[in-house]
Amino acid sequence: MSHVATASKNLFKIGEIGISPTIVTTWGVMLLFILIVCFWNLRIVRYGYFKTAIEGIFITIEAAVAEVLPSVMVRRVLPFVATIWLFVLLSNLIGLIPELHAPTSDLSATTALAVLVFLSTHWFGIREHGLKQHLKHYIEPSFILLPFHIISELTRTLALAIRLFGNMMSLEMASLLVVAIAGFLVPIPLLMLHVIEAVVQAYIFGMLALIYIAGALESQSFISTKESTV
Amino acid sequence: MQFEWTTFILEILNFLVLLWILQRFLYKPITAMLEARQLQTKTEINKAQVMLLEADSLRVEYEQKLLDWSLEQDESRRHLGEELLQLRREGLDSLKNSFDVEISKLNAQNQALMVAKQTLLVQEAASNAYSNVSLMLQRITSLDLTLKIVDVLLEDLLQLSDSQRVTLELAVNTPGFDGNVLLLSAHPLDEGTCLRINTALCEVTGKLLFINNKVDDQLIAGVRVIVGECELNANLADELAFFRRQENHV
Repeated sequence: MSHVATASKNLFKIGEIGISPTIVTTWGVMLLFILIVCFWNLRIVRYGYFKTAIEGIFITIEAAVAEVLPSVMVRRVLPFVATIWLFVLLSNLIGLIPELHAPTSDLSATTALAVLVFLSTHWFGIREHGLKQHLKHYIEPSFILLPFHIISELTRTLALAIRLFGNMMSLEMASLLVVAIAGFLVPIPLLMLHVIEAVVQAYIFGMLALIYIAGALESQSFISTKESTV
Repeated sequence: MQFEWTTFILEILNFLVLLWILQRFLYKPITAMLEARQLQTKTEINKAQVMLLEADSLRVEYEQKLLDWSLEQDESRRHLGEELLQLRREGLDSLKNSFDVEISKLNAQNQALMVAKQTLLVQEAASNAYSNVSLMLQRITSLDLTLKIVDVLLEDLLQLSDSQRVTLELAVNTPGFDGNVLLLSAHPLDEGTCLRINTALCEVTGKLLFINNKVDDQLIAGVRVIVGECELNANLADELAFFRRQENHV
């Protein structure tokens, strides 16, 4: 409970900007990524298990994206989706370390990620088909459906944020409750569950983001195909 | 469950920064490396495919060559067989021709030998016959026969042809001829008979001639008159010799 409670408190301030533990942990996660990147780019590091593992992760993500998107779009969408996946996964798993707060158990962070997914969906849609064509699918097949489309966009973004936040926060709370009640060794299975949950939530979040982006791209393709057939 | 705009904005910024870092320093190098590897793999695959195509092409070419060689071999074998057959035929024909020629030569030689042998036999037989006839005539000959032949000679002298007469005259008129005529007879002749012969010769030649009679029993029967370079044969030995010569000519 102390973790959840301290998540909203600022640790320090940079000027007028208060830095919360979520931000600090995020920076830690970023630092970890930067270290991995630096280690990857070091020329003295020979091609071994580390580089093979990184390459394997990248190829796996690329294959997952390629299953959803057309092959021409894979390399364009891949950096965003891969970063979502890796960042959310590491953010979820960082909560396993004692005294550290998972950024994804903060609503502000998950909302930020959901908003980024929302924006990226429109970004890729507009970039691929243009603004007019992208917005046109909101009034398809009828203008009446425009509110429903807008509500759908907002609710799914909200659901994305709340889902991740709710799962991770509840998981952390459950872990803390078990630790507080049961003692030393009992939370270990729950921590294993935490790992699985962290992976699953990261996968769900990334996959939903990918599906939303694919939906934006494919809806335009559907409209274009429909217009060309008419 | 508090929402803080500061955290919200900073999270967005953090995520964008992380996205840029990963994109710039991780994804691009990995993508470049994978593309290079894929390119290398494609290149190797293309090379392998080219090599495979070349190998297939070479295999097809060598199979075709082998087929051609096999056909050429068969054709050469057939051609060689035909040539051998032709050579055999020609050789057999040549041998047959040479045999025929040799056979014909041998036949001709054999025939010639037979003819020669036959001729020799005929000649020998004739010679033996003439010898036997000569011996037999020598046994049955007599002065009367000689005188009868002299009579025949005298008759013939009177009936000489012009050419024979000219020949005789030329013999008589030859420079160095002294008018002596040698009269060889198988039997001794009396004076009267010699005179008759001399008279007949003188009439025919128109010259004065002198008879010198000698006996030559080789003549069997009859006489031989030698007038210079001309001989008048009226005896059995010369007649037989004449026939023997005629037989030899035949």
